[in-house]
Amino acid sequence: MKHLIGLVGTNSSQSTNRKLLQFIQMHFQEEATVELMEIKDFPVFNKPSDSTLPSIIQEAAEKIEKADGVIISTPEYDHAIPASLINALNWLSYDIYPFVDKPVMITGASYGTLGSSRAQAQLRQILDSPELKARIMPSSEFLLNHSLQAFDEENGLKNTDQIEKLTGLFRDFLVFVDLVNQLVQAHGSNKKEAENFSWENI
Amino acid sequence: MKYVGIVGSNADLSYNRYLLNFIKKQYSHLFELDIVEIKDIPMFNQDNDQTNSQPIQNLNQKILDADGVIIATPEHNHTIPASLKSVIEWLSFKIHPLDNKPVMIVGASYYDQGSSRAQLHLRQILDAPGVNAIVMPGNEFLLGRVKEAFDEEYNLKDQGTIDFLQSILEKYNAFVQLVNRLEAPKEEPLPEEDLHASQAIETTIEDVEMEAQDWVEQAAEKVDAVEGNTYVKLNRGILTVDQINTFLASMPMELTFADENNQFLYYNYTKEAEDMLADRVPGQVGNPLVLCHPEAALKNVGWVVQQLRAGKQDVVRIHVPTHGPDKFVVHNYQAMHDEEGNYRGINEYILDFKPIVDWYLKQTGLKLEGDIDATSGASQADDAEVDAGTGASVKS
Repeated sequence: MKHLIGLVGTNSSQSTNRKLLQFIQMHFQEEATVELMEIKDFPVFNKPSDSTLPSIIQEAAEKIEKADGVIISTPEYDHAIPASLINALNWLSYDIYPFVDKPVMITGASYGTLGSSRAQAQLRQILDSPELKARIMPSSEFLLNHSLQAFDEENGLKNTDQIEKLTGLFRDFLVFVDLVNQLVQAHGSNKKEAENFSWENI
Repeated sequence: MKYVGIVGSNADLSYNRYLLNFIKKQYSHLFELDIVEIKDIPMFNQDNDQTNSQPIQNLNQKILDADGVIIATPEHNHTIPASLKSVIEWLSFKIHPLDNKPVMIVGASYYDQGSSRAQLHLRQILDAPGVNAIVMPGNEFLLGRVKEAFDEEYNLKDQGTIDFLQSILEKYNAFVQLVNRLEAPKEEPLPEEDLHASQAIETTIEDVEMEAQDWVEQAAEKVDAVEGNTYVKLNRGILTVDQINTFLASMPMELTFADENNQFLYYNYTKEAEDMLADRVPGQVGNPLVLCHPEAALKNVGWVVQQLRAGKQDVVRIHVPTHGPDKFVVHNYQAMHDEEGNYRGINEYILDFKPIVDWYLKQTGLKLEGDIDATSGASQADDAEVDAGTGASVKS
């Protein structure tokens, strides 16, 4: 069974993105294990000249490194992903490269109508930067709008169309993980490019 | 102009900080720049509202007091640094100092891109409703290859870059003024004019039908108006009513009096309607202004009276070109005020300027320059010394 990381894209305790990942974890437990990862205790990134990473970052990087894939669920703050998620990705590409060629699926939930659409587009661009270079599942978008009303008391998604869509995307993602594992030709150069990328020089 | 410059990085070494320092020093003749750091601002977390903490409140106050904000951003992971995003989140959570604030974005980076993608994201972020800044469009300033860009004193080396930066900062100054006008409180619309003259004033002769053809006769009887050889004391002099009439009839223009209730009370009747520049008939006197103009013109009439009553203009002049090239007929709507400065109505005088200009040219020997037909207006070149009182510029 595949093992995935569900990265909660916010430091907020009241996050419907966390709920969405918990739902995925529960609903697909027969198909894959999903381990939730929190970013709220990551310190503020400031390009420390001493590049020894805090242990919480090292642990997170190792978990991602070992996982078959990562599902990132992001809210949208000011038309973009939250600072806390940018912060996490800054750390997770600072002289370490757990995301290089890692299969990533993006989901998002928002209180309003748009369901974090702009944040998701930005997140794709960020994950495409040379020092992250993740393999993002293309042509897939899961936007959970009006997320405060989306769950029942047992944290189940109420809307069956949404569940159907999510199920399709999740199963595709498991196939996508296998596909990416065959996309090995560029892995060497991706890794090299990421390693050559120097934060000293940014 | 007073701007806040935000160093968009919390790193100890930041070329964006050097860039803002250079801008502050180099362009001090254009504006004052207060450079602020964001490294003391904590990571945004909605569970732990720190809006009222000192660093956030300081920044808030500085931005509120400034005419504009310049943000210098690096690019991390193809976007702006987490620390800068965090600041913007705080400034759009419980407080909104960037609301309607003119913002300019600059950026420096080690590679060729010069923070291009981060700048685009920053625009998108600043445009979010909770932030609602007004970002200057276009005029990107991307400083790539920063390690080679500065000399030992952290001045930009390339003169072309310095000049370009100056040109967009000058544009930013203009942009800030533009935005301030855009956001200035709207002027209260002037109250609607009552062209039906339905609000009687102290001098209104009541109980006489305003529309009546013999309004003058009826009204005169009502108030026992004097006429003929009766003396009237004026400021300054004494004339009989006949003498006043003779005097006004000799005025080389058509005079019309409308009071502040928008009632047409008088014109210097010397010609029949068809011989006048603007036709009037004796039976019209006493009418409210609404009856003196065609329906389509009423909006403009109302506007003119509004301007005069509110003191926006002392006189509104309208050139009426329908009299052919031999005349230059202008309708002058002159506001009238009593000694206390209260608005007392309109003195409309209709005058053909052409004979006056012709006489002036003949007396001075000056000529109008170019092939000017009389209807096009008095644009003239100035070579000769001309009486300053004329206002028109003339060529000898």
